[in-house]
Amino acid sequence: MIKFLFKGILRDKSRSLSPIIVITIGVVLTVMLSGLLKGMLTDMIDQNAWFETGHVKVMSREYAKNKDQLPNDLALLGVDTLMQSLQKEFPFMNWVKRIRFGGLIDVPDAQGNSKGQGPASGMAIDLFSPHSVEARRLNIAKSLVTGSVPSKKGESIIGNEFAEKLHLKLGDEITYIGSTMNGEMSFKNFRVSGTIRFGVAAMDKGAVIIDITDAQEMLDMSDGAGELLGFFNSGIYNDKKAQLVTEEFNEHYVQSDDNFAPIMFRLKEQNNLSGYLDFVNSMSTILVSIFVFAMSIVLWNTGLLGGLRRYYEFGIRLALGESKGHIYRSLILEAILIGTIGSIIGSVIGLAGTWYMQVHGLDLSGFLKNATSMMMPSILRSQLSPELIYIGFIPGLLAMVLGNMLSGIGIYKRETATLFKELEV
Amino acid sequence: MKENIITIEHVTKRYPVGEGEFTALNDVNIQFRKGEFAGIVGPSGSGKTTLLNIIGSLDSPTEGKAVVMGKNISELNHKDSALLRNLHLGFIFQVYNLLPVYTVFENVEFALLLQNKTVTERKKAVMESLEWVGLGKMANKKPSKLSGGEGQRVAIARAMVKRPEIVLADEPTANLDSANAHAILKTMKTLNKELNTTFLFSTHDEKVMGYLERMVHLEDGKVKQDEIIEAKKTE
Ligand SMILES: Nc1ncnc2c1ncn2[C@@H]1O[C@H](COP(=O)(O)OP(=O)(O)OP(=O)(O)O)[C@@H](O)[C@H]1O
Ligand SMILES: [Mg+2]
Repeated sequence: MIKFLFKGILRDKSRSLSPIIVITIGVVLTVMLSGLLKGMLTDMIDQNAWFETGHVKVMSREYAKNKDQLPNDLALLGVDTLMQSLQKEFPFMNWVKRIRFGGLIDVPDAQGNSKGQGPASGMAIDLFSPHSVEARRLNIAKSLVTGSVPSKKGESIIGNEFAEKLHLKLGDEITYIGSTMNGEMSFKNFRVSGTIRFGVAAMDKGAVIIDITDAQEMLDMSDGAGELLGFFNSGIYNDKKAQLVTEEFNEHYVQSDDNFAPIMFRLKEQNNLSGYLDFVNSMSTILVSIFVFAMSIVLWNTGLLGGLRRYYEFGIRLALGESKGHIYRSLILEAILIGTIGSIIGSVIGLAGTWYMQVHGLDLSGFLKNATSMMMPSILRSQLSPELIYIGFIPGLLAMVLGNMLSGIGIYKRETATLFKELEV
Repeated sequence: MKENIITIEHVTKRYPVGEGEFTALNDVNIQFRKGEFAGIVGPSGSGKTTLLNIIGSLDSPTEGKAVVMGKNISELNHKDSALLRNLHLGFIFQVYNLLPVYTVFENVEFALLLQNKTVTERKKAVMESLEWVGLGKMANKKPSKLSGGEGQRVAIARAMVKRPEIVLADEPTANLDSANAHAILKTMKTLNKELNTTFLFSTHDEKVMGYLERMVHLEDGKVKQDEIIEAKKTE
């Protein structure tokens, strides 16, 4: 019987072609959009983690309250000891110090007079320790537009646009003007070793990157750091595990009434990411539901038209002794066959498209040039993941079966004799 | 005596028409026995198709009782009436109604698929019934490639393939030329004699009447005359 139906589907193009096309399009869209959302989400998590939040982050309580102002006067002290104990307690994570700082970059001329100035958004990371992976983590080498990664103290990388605005060349001298941890004026000269573009709007604005030891000297915060970041050695954010680490760490300090006691936050608790992650997740659910709904409507209608055309056939089959229920079930079976074909084709195309988008991506940096402080990757990339195999397939199949079920009800509604009457031409 | 396989008792069929009703069959009483070659004849609108549809359990009487193969049509559910058609009844229509996407062989085979017959059984039965109607060589053709006479012969093969007790033929010759009409009537008569299948026609075609052994005259939904004809016409 299945073979009989299958032959019918293959030979009667009008019966199979339009539903297959509808399903294929729907499934392709579902798969690709899900892949895109997933890719954006992962990129977003990664970008935020690498550049700002870590998988978990430790700050002083006061610093945490005002962290948007980069309040280094409230920074953690005794960080080397703290780092050692973190590394010991949570060896499955890699712990690093960072200092983020604001201030002014001044470009002096030969006489020492100011040639140009601009506000800096500085980040100090561990560039020189032999085992540090920070430069690699931030993808600095690959993001350089000119020059190289600093190889010794007193060197800095600055944002490419920032450098152009200040007419800086490699090897030029710049002066940082800001305040130390204790609120005194601070000046320090750096040599420009490279210019950089991360492609992340929030990072590229007025970027200045220096080594952590330079920053500690410059800001008078020896053995201090604004933030300690922890990254899972796997490189992949695991919210459950991060939560456990955070709870375990914060447990040590619940009794403390020190305003400068360290406090840990996991990625999801920072930068409103939790809301965003939930938003993206519900977006994918909504998107998939909309597609299933729309596809079902379209398939219902194609099914209805096809069904009307086929009352003739149903009449003959009734006369030959097939029951209404059997005809109805055979329609569903046909829907499963057609739905499977369409969903397979759609999934294959959708996965291929997603793969293409994962490898090549879509550059949106033009749109995001002036945009937002949010950590948004400017290259749109999809991500292939196992659930993409069923995320389009199941809805595609479901829509087709649902569509045929709805249109097939007409067979039940009609009197046998009426169906049969259509035979008397 | 041979037993009755169709018994119609006080059957009335009314159709709702607008506010009122239209009486298509009015207190009809007849019986048919196994092996009959009979026809319901009468002018257009006299109720021939309505009666045939009730016997074929495609419709049920408004009043009265129709018993076919021992089953009361009014009491059958969808499934049982389908089963009755599948096992015991064959249909032949004015238009031969073949499924266009399937080959001649597959069209004839369909009824056997419903009976869950094996491939070998199906193949044997299909080829045999195509031979009966002289179309053994056409098995793999599509219906669109057949002439009208060939199409109607496939329809006969399709009705006969499951060896039904009763074949209901509603104006089977209406769309055929005289030569083809005679050819299929002869075929049906032969099958009637060889397999003892009951044939029941609805017709107003003189050619068909020439072959009938019994004619039930219907007029305005009533049986006017029930005429037994000598079995002399078999040429
Ligand atoms: N579903 C229906 N609703 C209303 N009236 C109907 C219906 N089916 C048939 N009729 C009427 O019942 C009467 C008998 O119809 P039927 O089809 O049985 O006639 P018939 O003898 O087969 O005629 P023909 O020789 O033209 O085929 C006709 O007047 C027809 O209009
Ligand atoms: Mg009729």
